[in-house]
Amino acid sequence: MFGYIRPLKGELTVREFERFKACYCGLCHALGKKYGFAARFILNFELVFLAMLIWDENESPVMKHGRCIASPCRKKRFCAGNAALDISAGYSVILAWWKVRDSIDDEKFIKTIPHRFAALFLRRAYKKAAREFPKFDSSVRTQLKSLAEYESSGGESFDSAADKFARILSSGVPEGIPESSRRPLAELLYHTGRWIYLVDAYDDYKEDVESGRYNALIRRFPPEDGEFPKDGVKSLETTLIHSNNLISAAFELMPENPWTQTVENTIYLGMPDVLGRVLNGTWLRKRRHDID
Amino acid sequence: MNDPYSVLGVSSNATEDEVKKAYRELARKYHPDNYQDNPLADLAQEKMKEINEAYNLILKAREGGGASYRGHTGPGRTAAGGTPESARVRAAINSGDLRLAEELLAGFTARNAEWNFLMGSVAYRKGWLDDAMRYFQTAVNMDPHNAEYAQALAFMQQGGQGYGPFGGSGRTMQGEGCDACDICSALLCMNFCCCR
Repeated sequence: MFGYIRPLKGELTVREFERFKACYCGLCHALGKKYGFAARFILNFELVFLAMLIWDENESPVMKHGRCIASPCRKKRFCAGNAALDISAGYSVILAWWKVRDSIDDEKFIKTIPHRFAALFLRRAYKKAAREFPKFDSSVRTQLKSLAEYESSGGESFDSAADKFARILSSGVPEGIPESSRRPLAELLYHTGRWIYLVDAYDDYKEDVESGRYNALIRRFPPEDGEFPKDGVKSLETTLIHSNNLISAAFELMPENPWTQTVENTIYLGMPDVLGRVLNGTWLRKRRHDID
Repeated sequence: MNDPYSVLGVSSNATEDEVKKAYRELARKYHPDNYQDNPLADLAQEKMKEINEAYNLILKAREGGGASYRGHTGPGRTAAGGTPESARVRAAINSGDLRLAEELLAGFTARNAEWNFLMGSVAYRKGWLDDAMRYFQTAVNMDPHNAEYAQALAFMQQGGQGYGPFGGSGRTMQGEGCDACDICSALLCMNFCCCR
């Protein structure tokens, strides 16, 4: 996805950072093992975050060493596969598939050729993941459809647009999660989805204004000389901080698990840091896969 | 009930200061102000109750003393809102039945300040924060003297209420240490009673 949801590296201990990297590598291994070589290219931080959230509270991560395509010479530490990583891997494939399908439907044929190739590589993986997580698959499909409808109707409320995306994430609460954490997790994921959707809309704003594409923020914050209006930034920041606060409030109601400190860092430090960088223009999209 | 020491996250031979510190930190975290109108407010309240019980048990066991967090209810939507139809909407929102609240609101004849305020409250519960703020803004414009509307708008304009484990509250957390003054001022702000 987007790479916005990440811990602030400078505030993690070295040990926490090494474990976080191992979790990231663990998700990559889970993707490769279950869905084949091509699936590894869809790895992203958002789904690592999900894996850390849904990790069983009584299960310490088991570390392994191994080589991979990204590091063929030196063996690297990674978390051994488990339920949380498998779910995240399956969701990654489903999300990547529908994102690619979405682009094929949206763009002119010539521009969709790379997406069509990606779809070709993802098809088998997608079918497998959709069989395993039918509920999540149908939720992604339904919400993206309703988002597309809302977008083509030129809907005014960015909350209503963000709601469709937020519901995709909140529908990701897996079956096995204990009842007591289901509601906080769903709320946490909802506002994480809202936050991601709006941060991304801000990040795309200028490009969308130039190309005339739909952007959920344009109606509420009409452009000034093609740019996001300066006095709108504060309002947008406030509403995003508010979502961040609701994410924290929900997070505090979830039981501790082996990743609590890293998740805490991500929510309380990582997200505000990324938001600050996106809003002041120092966020580099091309570095979204870099950990620091 | 769970072991009171594990509820507070301290060992059973923790000093009184350590127990008190752990209690304050948790009370700060689950304070009703952090869960104002939050759909998870009931869970936070349970947590708060558990923490208070654990703290009181430990104090009692140690010296028969007693202390507790003073009960506090957030502004909520419990205040009577004038007309019976508005009271029904408030009851629906409080019980979490947002669909019913929306249906009732669609049937209102007057789109007055109260209607806008209630629409904002429903939007807030759904997590539609910008819509909520705009409804509250309209409510305040229509009835600038209503304290409840003004309070709701002010809450949105500050981006809600945040607890910050890294010092400070939700908004400006750049990993600065959390010193005693921060805690005191935070506790004061939150109308928190740490009497013994």
